[in-house]
Amino acid sequence: MTAKNMTRAAFFVLTALADQPRHGYGILRETEELSGGEVQLRVGTLYGVLDRLTADGLIVLDREEVQQGRLRRYYRLTDDGVAALDAEAERMAAGAGAAKRRIAEGRRVRPAAEGPAGLEPPTAPGLAGGYA
Amino acid sequence: MTTLLEARYRTVLRLLPAYYRREREEEMVETYVGDLDRDTQDQSRPTLGEVASIAALAVRSRLGAAGAPRPYVLLGSGARLFALAAVLLLAASAVVEPILQLTWSLTRGGAQRRLFLSEFTGHGPLADTVAVAQWVLPLGWTAAYFGLLYGRRRLARTGVLVAALPTLWPLVSSLTGATPIVEPAFVVTLALLAWLPALALCAAHHRDAPAARLPAGTPGVVFMAACVVTGASLVLLPAAADLVWGPANCFVVGALGWLLWTVRRGEPVAPGGALALAVLGLLLLAVRVSAVYPWLGLPEAAGYLGGDLVQAAALALLIVVLAVAGCRELAAR
Repeated sequence: MTAKNMTRAAFFVLTALADQPRHGYGILRETEELSGGEVQLRVGTLYGVLDRLTADGLIVLDREEVQQGRLRRYYRLTDDGVAALDAEAERMAAGAGAAKRRIAEGRRVRPAAEGPAGLEPPTAPGLAGGYA
Repeated sequence: MTTLLEARYRTVLRLLPAYYRREREEEMVETYVGDLDRDTQDQSRPTLGEVASIAALAVRSRLGAAGAPRPYVLLGSGARLFALAAVLLLAASAVVEPILQLTWSLTRGGAQRRLFLSEFTGHGPLADTVAVAQWVLPLGWTAAYFGLLYGRRRLARTGVLVAALPTLWPLVSSLTGATPIVEPAFVVTLALLAWLPALALCAAHHRDAPAARLPAGTPGVVFMAACVVTGASLVLLPAAADLVWGPANCFVVGALGWLLWTVRRGEPVAPGGALALAVLGLLLLAVRVSAVYPWLGLPEAAGYLGGDLVQAAALALLIVVLAVAGCRELAAR
């Protein structure tokens, strides 16, 4: 998976694993928190993403634990995973920077083009027949 | 002790193939139940969204997901080739037939032109709109074909779903009582010929699937070749032409080429390809038989029947050969 075709879900899963290995439920909670509640992965979706990231070599199984009789698998980023996440973050930051610059330029140009309020040039005859 | 929610969730997980459940079931249950307390677990059930996500995962894990066992890899590869081959046939037909019809209507004088235009006018707004849509929407097959081969999967999915819509119109029209279905078997098999490839494309060419590619040639050249075969079969034997005549002839030529190439290489051109083509051939044969059946025994339909019965025989023969080749491939693995 390259930065160009990384999905939003994959990006947040990689981000959730950037600081430490996490298990499935931990990744679900972390992605929700990191995205401000915007990304709420279903379990089926999460495991589709984990399968894909594992196949692409971006994450690996870190360790297994048994908690209250249930299996927990912890995943961590590989070096390729860190590089892919870094590249995607750079790409997003560059896009966000370009958008902010354009917005700032737009704000600077717009007031000058519109001119001061109330001083529009006359376009029609006034009540007295001449230009007001 | 197992809670009600866990038991229900495990039931939903049965949608997944056995190899996937063996690997992931315990982990997925732990992830799903998370830190819910026991009372909540005993009073709740998996949400529809959760069930839908498992169903989607079940389809993907059966159609060649990463790390899937060989039978599923074969199934995924076959489903992708089935969708691609069917979309190619329908795309060529969607372009060639309107062009030939337009050429015929516009070069044969005013009467033919008026007859052609009368199909789209004077039947009321709904009927006229449907007539235009049935002419234009099948071009979605062409958009889907090129979208699929150039990595635009969303365009491909939208294209096939839009293109398959007109085949539903006779069924909808019949259900609403507007028009009775004259040949129900033909209408249903024609709808299947459109919808099975459309659904196969949506399911098998998912985001994680390998990129779609042709066994040989570039997308443009293969499309042109399909158009030439479709067009030639319509021009050379117009008496036998119906909705499935062109695509079926194109299939016969393509499948023969596939078999010869496989024999020459000494190994399958694409995993699961022979069985995929056999299924597509079977679908075309079903449409062919349902189209011909009402005309059997009518002396005035002899011109139409001759060519179509020969085509049906060719399809049946190819299906048998492809099925044998496909079974040998399965046994060899």
